[in-house]
Amino acid sequence: MASITLPVGGGTQSGAAEAPKLRVSDFLRWSVDHKIIGVQYMAVALFFFIVGGTLAMLIRWELLTPNLDVVQTGTQYNTLFSVHGLVMIFLWIIPMMAGFGNYLVPLQLGAKDMAFPWLNAFAFWLIPPAGILLIGSMLVGAPESGWTQYPPLSTLYSGDGQTLAALSIHLLGISSILGAINFIVTIKNMRPAGMGWWQLPLFCWATLATAIIVVMATPFLAGGLTLLILDKIAGTSFFDAGNGGDPQLWQNVFWFYSHPAVYIMILPGMGMLSEVLATHARKPVFGYKMVAISSMAIALVGFTVWAHHMFTSLTPELRVPFMITSMIIAVPTGIKIFSWLGTIWGGKIRFTSAMLFGLGFLSMFVVGGIGGVMLAAIPFDIHVHDTYFVVSHLHFVLYGGSVFTIYAGIYHWFPKITGRMLDERLGKWHFALTYVGFFFSFFPMNFAGMLGMPRRVAYYLPEFQSVNTVISISAFVLGISTFVMLYNIWISMRHGKKAGANPWRALTLEWATTSPPPSTNFIDDPVPFHDPYGYGDKDSQAYLDDIDKRFGVGEDVPVPRPAVQPAASGD
Amino acid sequence: MSQKTLEQGLSRHELQDLRNKRTGLAIFQISWIMTFVCLIIVNFWMRSSQPAWPPAGVEVDVFVPTLMTIALIASSFFMRRGVKALKANAIEQFTSAWRIGLGFGVVFAVVMAYEFITAPGSGQYRDVYRLMVGFHHVHALAIGYYLIRVYQNGRAGHYSPTNFWPVEGGASLWDFVTVAWVLFYVVLYLI
Repeated sequence: MASITLPVGGGTQSGAAEAPKLRVSDFLRWSVDHKIIGVQYMAVALFFFIVGGTLAMLIRWELLTPNLDVVQTGTQYNTLFSVHGLVMIFLWIIPMMAGFGNYLVPLQLGAKDMAFPWLNAFAFWLIPPAGILLIGSMLVGAPESGWTQYPPLSTLYSGDGQTLAALSIHLLGISSILGAINFIVTIKNMRPAGMGWWQLPLFCWATLATAIIVVMATPFLAGGLTLLILDKIAGTSFFDAGNGGDPQLWQNVFWFYSHPAVYIMILPGMGMLSEVLATHARKPVFGYKMVAISSMAIALVGFTVWAHHMFTSLTPELRVPFMITSMIIAVPTGIKIFSWLGTIWGGKIRFTSAMLFGLGFLSMFVVGGIGGVMLAAIPFDIHVHDTYFVVSHLHFVLYGGSVFTIYAGIYHWFPKITGRMLDERLGKWHFALTYVGFFFSFFPMNFAGMLGMPRRVAYYLPEFQSVNTVISISAFVLGISTFVMLYNIWISMRHGKKAGANPWRALTLEWATTSPPPSTNFIDDPVPFHDPYGYGDKDSQAYLDDIDKRFGVGEDVPVPRPAVQPAASGD
Repeated sequence: MSQKTLEQGLSRHELQDLRNKRTGLAIFQISWIMTFVCLIIVNFWMRSSQPAWPPAGVEVDVFVPTLMTIALIASSFFMRRGVKALKANAIEQFTSAWRIGLGFGVVFAVVMAYEFITAPGSGQYRDVYRLMVGFHHVHALAIGYYLIRVYQNGRAGHYSPTNFWPVEGGASLWDFVTVAWVLFYVVLYLI
């Protein structure tokens, strides 16, 4: 007979567990508390999401008609899409994922903090100056080369703002590496007794895989950016074909980082998704080990596909090997998709906002993934090269993928971070507007692309106006949907229902403490349940009931529970 | 005194801290060496697009860089001796070995700075040469400064067999400088 594991050790955690009262000022200064840092990451990332989103709205406003309306010159349009891309990738998605990692990893491991708290804070505080540099780049001879910064567009045809943008990305790269080192050491060395590798929550697995990619790939970006900056300011000509350099060198170095960077942006979201789907479907993760291994496989295979971004300029004999590796990487991704489907299949699904975004991810990411497999096929890739098909694919993966998981994560963990529930009615409005707005913003781009509409142009042929009108109006709906979420966050932080410690009755350790957790996370050393997704296991009921008894339940319990009286502490 | 015996004197928290630092530094070294690998790839890429590498008429002196490479390896060796001496509580031997290691390091830094300034050739060849030597030199100077601080603290008696991480970490960073240079040396002078 299996012994029942209770969430805390022999101490008296229940008596000492008071949720801290945090003030806004706590988040505006230097702190080495991983939870503060996690929220700082998220807040800064959300700010830049608004900045990047505003640029996107301007782009779509401009594209309502085939001629220049909003911007005066092509240079201004180039600046809009270049800074939009850089902000969304380097200042929104990557820092947001780092924010979740910072907040959750030590809690899920039952640790008091990250392995290197000071380094953690330092990594975060590199981001605001990098953001200022990047936004400032628009004011001093703007970057016009897109987020890919290809020479000679970046070296010969962009102003000093390109140098500032490169410096900004350099800083962000250093920040990412320092953060990733912290994640790897924390996950490797600070797991509690009773948590072997196969009891590790899948979000931690995904964060570990992401961190491995970051530490191995980001130095290449640092190397490439160093050359780019030298070409801009020191008179070298590494990328200047006119002086013996080679622009393709940049493409190879850049994509050796930036294709794995796609997995940096999506793997943590996949980890979050596993947590959300299992918890809200009340079922164990289907094929836990395969999901964990597939994260590592994606990290590994991700290093072998970079040249598929250069099919049109690649030596012909290298195209087929890269086509094959690009298709192979769909296998571990497919394993995850089937695992998630298996997880929710037959589950007691609760259609919470978090779950809706999780399911939304499944549908959207599959569309993006299929587009990816299509692009991996050389003839098709050449046909749609540099068209709106590529724009659609990228956004299905990074918005339909990463951003949907971020939203799922926000709805799932907001109660833990703030002690209050987000409003579910507003959450469902947010989901509906996002889902519809997103789909009709980006799906029609597939058709526009296949019909030949090029990306990164402010002018286009009049026959594309109707499809662009649909896209732009949908994009405005998508833009509005974001403010529904922000309003929800704003209002719920003040007036949201009290969440209690474990509103979703989840089994991972972050829920076995107050919401928000105390500064040391746990008063005693917490004891992980033997299976982090053991929903349905009869022992899990005792484990979850014990959490409720020790830390209390919230005002409006979204998950049916055995009769447990709300405790006074915890909120 | 063996490593294990030494570490038995540490508390659980100190042991965890030491373990974290060792793992963290190792991951940092694995990560950052990739930047040097990137520059090696840049070197190979650039030379593959040139008719001759080094360009015709450019004489590359191998003798002095070889001597300097030996000096850097010797420097790393003495740093390691210093760490071993410190862990054996031989403080005098530690500072002495560290001093010799620093001496070799300074010779390397000065001579390679001269090599950087008087880089041979022109155009892409010289740009790549200076890029690699200069990039390495920045690391050598930054870590070298840290090692000098460690030496000063060591002489002031701040380290002991149970407080050795700044010394061990410094030696590991210097090993990194040495390994990175050996890779560069092979690419710049031998291949």
